Amino acid sequence: MSRNAALPLNQQPSLCTMKLSDEDLQYIEGEREGKGFLINLIDSPGHVDFSSEVTAALRVTDGALVVVDCVSGVCVQTETVLRQAINERIKPVLFMNKMDRALLELQLEKEDLYQTLQRIVESINVIVATYADDDGPMGNIQVSPEKGTVGFGSGLHGWAFTLKQFAEIYSKKFKIEPAKLMKRLWGDQFYNPKTKKWNKTEGEGFTRGFNQFVLDPIYKMFDAIMNFKKEETAKLHEKLEIKLTKEEKDMEGKPLLKRTMLKWLPAGDALLQMITIHLPSPVTAQRYRMELLYEGPLDDPVALGIKNCDTQAPLCLYVSKMVPTVDKGRFHAFGRVFSGKVATGQKVRIMGPNYVPGKKEDLYNKSIQRTILMMGRYTEAIEDVPCGNIVGLVGVDQFLVKTGTITTYENAHNLKMMKFSVSPVVRVAVEAKNPADLPKLVEGLKRLAKSDPMVQCLIEESGEHIVAGAGELHLEICLKDLEEDHACIPLKKSDPVVSYRETVSETSAFTCLSKSPNKHNRLFMTAAPFGDGLAEDIDSGDVSSKQDFKARGRYLVEKYEWDATESRKIWCFGPEGTGPNMVVDCTKGVQYLNEIKDSVVAGFQWASKEGPLCEENVRGARFNIHDVTLHADAIHRGGGQIIPTARRCFYACMLTAKPALMEPVYLCEIQCPESAVGGIYGVLNRRRGHVFEEGQVIGTPMFHVKSYLPVNESFGFTADLRSNTGGQAFPQCVFDHWQLMPGDATDPTSKPGLVVVATRKRKNLSDELPPLDRFLDKL
Amino acid sequence: MKFAAEHVQADLIIHYGRACLSQTRRLPVLHIFGKWPITIQSCHKQFRQLFPDPAVKVLVFSDVVYSHCMGELQNAIKLNYPNVIFTKLNICSTFEKEEEFFCKSKSRKQANIKEENSQDIITPETQLSSKSGETDVDMISLEDSNNDLGNGYFCRFGREFCLPAHAQLEEYDVFYIGSESLCLRNLMMSYNKCQFYSYDPCTNVGRKETLNVNKALMRRYYMIQRAKDAQVVGIVVGTLGVADYLKVIERMKQVIKLAGKKSYLFVMGKLNVAKMANFMEVDVFVLVACPENTLIDSQEFYKPIVTPFEMELACLRTREWTGDYITDFRDLLPGASASVELDVEESMDDIPDVSLVTGHLRPTYSSSEVERGFSSTSLVERNQETSLSTQHHTSAAEYLASRSWSGLEQKLGETPVTTAVEGREGIAAGYSHEKGLNQDSQESPSSE
Repeated sequence: MSRNAALPLNQQPSLCTMKLSDEDLQYIEGEREGKGFLINLIDSPGHVDFSSEVTAALRVTDGALVVVDCVSGVCVQTETVLRQAINERIKPVLFMNKMDRALLELQLEKEDLYQTLQRIVESINVIVATYADDDGPMGNIQVSPEKGTVGFGSGLHGWAFTLKQFAEIYSKKFKIEPAKLMKRLWGDQFYNPKTKKWNKTEGEGFTRGFNQFVLDPIYKMFDAIMNFKKEETAKLHEKLEIKLTKEEKDMEGKPLLKRTMLKWLPAGDALLQMITIHLPSPVTAQRYRMELLYEGPLDDPVALGIKNCDTQAPLCLYVSKMVPTVDKGRFHAFGRVFSGKVATGQKVRIMGPNYVPGKKEDLYNKSIQRTILMMGRYTEAIEDVPCGNIVGLVGVDQFLVKTGTITTYENAHNLKMMKFSVSPVVRVAVEAKNPADLPKLVEGLKRLAKSDPMVQCLIEESGEHIVAGAGELHLEICLKDLEEDHACIPLKKSDPVVSYRETVSETSAFTCLSKSPNKHNRLFMTAAPFGDGLAEDIDSGDVSSKQDFKARGRYLVEKYEWDATESRKIWCFGPEGTGPNMVVDCTKGVQYLNEIKDSVVAGFQWASKEGPLCEENVRGARFNIHDVTLHADAIHRGGGQIIPTARRCFYACMLTAKPALMEPVYLCEIQCPESAVGGIYGVLNRRRGHVFEEGQVIGTPMFHVKSYLPVNESFGFTADLRSNTGGQAFPQCVFDHWQLMPGDATDPTSKPGLVVVATRKRKNLSDELPPLDRFLDKL
Repeated sequence: MKFAAEHVQADLIIHYGRACLSQTRRLPVLHIFGKWPITIQSCHKQFRQLFPDPAVKVLVFSDVVYSHCMGELQNAIKLNYPNVIFTKLNICSTFEKEEEFFCKSKSRKQANIKEENSQDIITPETQLSSKSGETDVDMISLEDSNNDLGNGYFCRFGREFCLPAHAQLEEYDVFYIGSESLCLRNLMMSYNKCQFYSYDPCTNVGRKETLNVNKALMRRYYMIQRAKDAQVVGIVVGTLGVADYLKVIERMKQVIKLAGKKSYLFVMGKLNVAKMANFMEVDVFVLVACPENTLIDSQEFYKPIVTPFEMELACLRTREWTGDYITDFRDLLPGASASVELDVEESMDDIPDVSLVTGHLRPTYSSSEVERGFSSTSLVERNQETSLSTQHHTSAAEYLASRSWSGLEQKLGETPVTTAVEGREGIAAGYSHEKGLNQDSQESPSSE
């Protein structure tokens, strides 16, 4: 199975030990020039469904080792990981894995292999350039083999190299410094062994430096061993000073190749070199990461502590993940110390994501029971851990849901929440087979919610217990964990369902009026769709409720051509106060208006959480308040009169503005041999997918097809695809955007209408849409 | 209604029409249910169709308006179905014949356990003929009606029945005579382990009830979760007549306080959406009302409304969700069948819980802190985990502070002092000085 794992790394020049997580690159060892390094390796899954794990890992690290399959090249998830890393200001280095396949299976010529590798480096750099500037805080983070930031090798066989290693070997022979020689070993640098001259263009008798000095010896070695040329093998061994034991000398074929390569180019050396030389230390990294991490003022003690990686500063630590322990239901909080020092028994403030400085919500004053080092499956107690390090904490799990900030400084602000690149768009309702087991199910759900960075466990108004995840695979794993580890009771699971969003596709046909129950107050409003991209801007935080209203207004005027005065009078966002819908005050000179603002906002949060079509969240709708008439007495325009009225009015606005549904859409990338492409098209067409890019992966017989696929159609997609392509096509799907479903959502026979009816049925609502006159009043 | 009766110093209330049969507090009530037409034969026929097996165990409930013919039906069905149990109306707070009263209340138990096919369903006629005595209704207090109940005796919604020894309630199906009503739904919630069948005499249709009780229960479970999340609870008094309502209110206050929440008491007559939404700072309401009207299943309300039983589930550690559902709040009171101890003893672990509604941590406030109104200098005990915690309480006052508009500004010293002037006059629909402005004030008279 292909695995393009990101291996984010954390490097610390203070301790002399190496701790590794249990994954396939476990042979790193050693020191460099007598100075010790502590390197924390965190392996993270490659499948896009689990990219939330990558996010959690990236937060606590400073560098990422991006592993790319040199045969299939850069995939969707590679791009996702890189984008996340760069946005977190994590410096990437590249490792080309599966070189053994390129040599043994594909039997590529040297020049072809070079071209393949070169293209991968280029496409990685294209992605890097998209998300980072050369003059950004991290400096130039483009990867280049001649600088040593690209490694080549085979994780399976345990060998790897960078150009630096070859340059060191040859530098004596050529009497050129390794750094200079490295430049000769990549790119358009050609060597003529006869004249011993270098040239920048290919010519008669000239061979590319990389092919001549790097690939040639490797090819020779492979050729000699795999074709059982015993003498030649022995000669090569001698020449390269590879010492084999007696048993190893008796081996032949692949086992011998593996031993040889492992001794010749041990992966550990190459990786260690890349990590220690090219990935930043916490001291370097925190200097530029601080402003991205800290929500508070950039000159308070915590901010300075993070910036200078100061052990004397107040403690500031981010918990990015909860790791289950042997003790059922308890977790180790896994995180990184950014400032100060965390110690066993220390009294700290535990601040959840909803903590607001000065308030008491989501804040707990507790002592750290124990600080531990986490090494793969094993843990080891440790007295204290200084900043820049990764740590496990015992005894704080109960005071955090998933993530949080731990500090000793009383006025500290939170460290920024992690942003996930995927959304939980696929959901399953679970039910205990025996209703009396309900409390166990609930306990299990709570544990599940803790153990996975992204999964959402919630109870819906209908009483259904929902587990929401990034994709089918993610959910499957979560449900398995729930049933076997967390709840330990038999479960009934519904089929996976997609969550939809309700929206409007036009401006309301007329201004809607709703009267309060006592008929003394009237609200006049309309709804209109957002401009393209605004909802996404709100999702990404470019436009948010916390922003300065002037700056936000300017942005809206410039980018979305909003009216300048209206853009400053945004009452609120919703649902949850932050969602992608707005209420805009377009009134002029209405008396007592500020008095009902809270009530209207409350009504809006309610209405935007449960839209009129099928009580799904509303997305991308702007509500304009045009006029309001209120009763002169405060008692007759209280919350009781306004909240239900505002809700009705919002519904009326939506129903008169061509309500529509939005469905989540995956970006789906499929790789397969050319012969199977036809099968892919068939499956995609049947599932409303549409292809927007396809082409051959140059240098290989593989084709790659990029398409958009509605999430709702993705259930069973992988299996379907395999059966239609003889098991040759592998899809990777990642949530990409929300897409308007064409058709009239109010017509129960149309495609979105069917969804509305099905959703209403699932939620135990009446089959019919509520009639407009329930919400709309006459003047 | 009951208050109105007290205003005229009535000694007795005669209640016409359908009733929830809850025990009243102050005044004896006699019921006249009326006799709705019902064809015994077709009912019997439907029964045979629904239950072809004569050995089937069935409980028969009926809407009160059909109680007049139950005896007849019972005789007809019992012939073929030996395991059918008919429920009787237990209107113990009302009076039967004066001379019967005392002996009945004593002999009731025996009568029930022997399971005599007693024919003494109180028909309106007998009730009417009875004279009201000076007996205080409170005499038949809860202890009477509950403590003498042996195993297998059930009394809910004013309907009593007794199962034979060793019989489990779960083994029985339920046959309900009457149209769809609150009564049926409440019965289904209470006896949620039984399969319900109903016969509607108006339409002459017998059917298996398909209302998914499990789903309904799940929805209530969601409400309980909301109640657990709540910081501020409003106790809404929806009855002033049902016996023991004061005791329940007191208990609710206690329970809510123990859970570290704050409670406010509301008396608001009939509930409606507008009235309830006036109190934005309240997170959840508890409705204290007679069992039939206590379940509010409308999504129109701004904040959820739960029953006292659900509030106890949300607040008390000693009460656990078992799948049973109790709608009669009197069952919760000390001494009643489903009562649980208040865990006055404070448990030391103050570990917050994750709310599955909001996804946030649900703070646990120990009640003593609320009482003490603790300050940052007060001593806090360490718990076993050698961790120290101080938590803080939010209340309506904090909510007010978070509002964007929190009332008129005082502007002390800025406004000149004036003598009293004449204010507005008239009703809200249109004051005298704004006549002509509100053209529609006539068409929409205020109900307030």
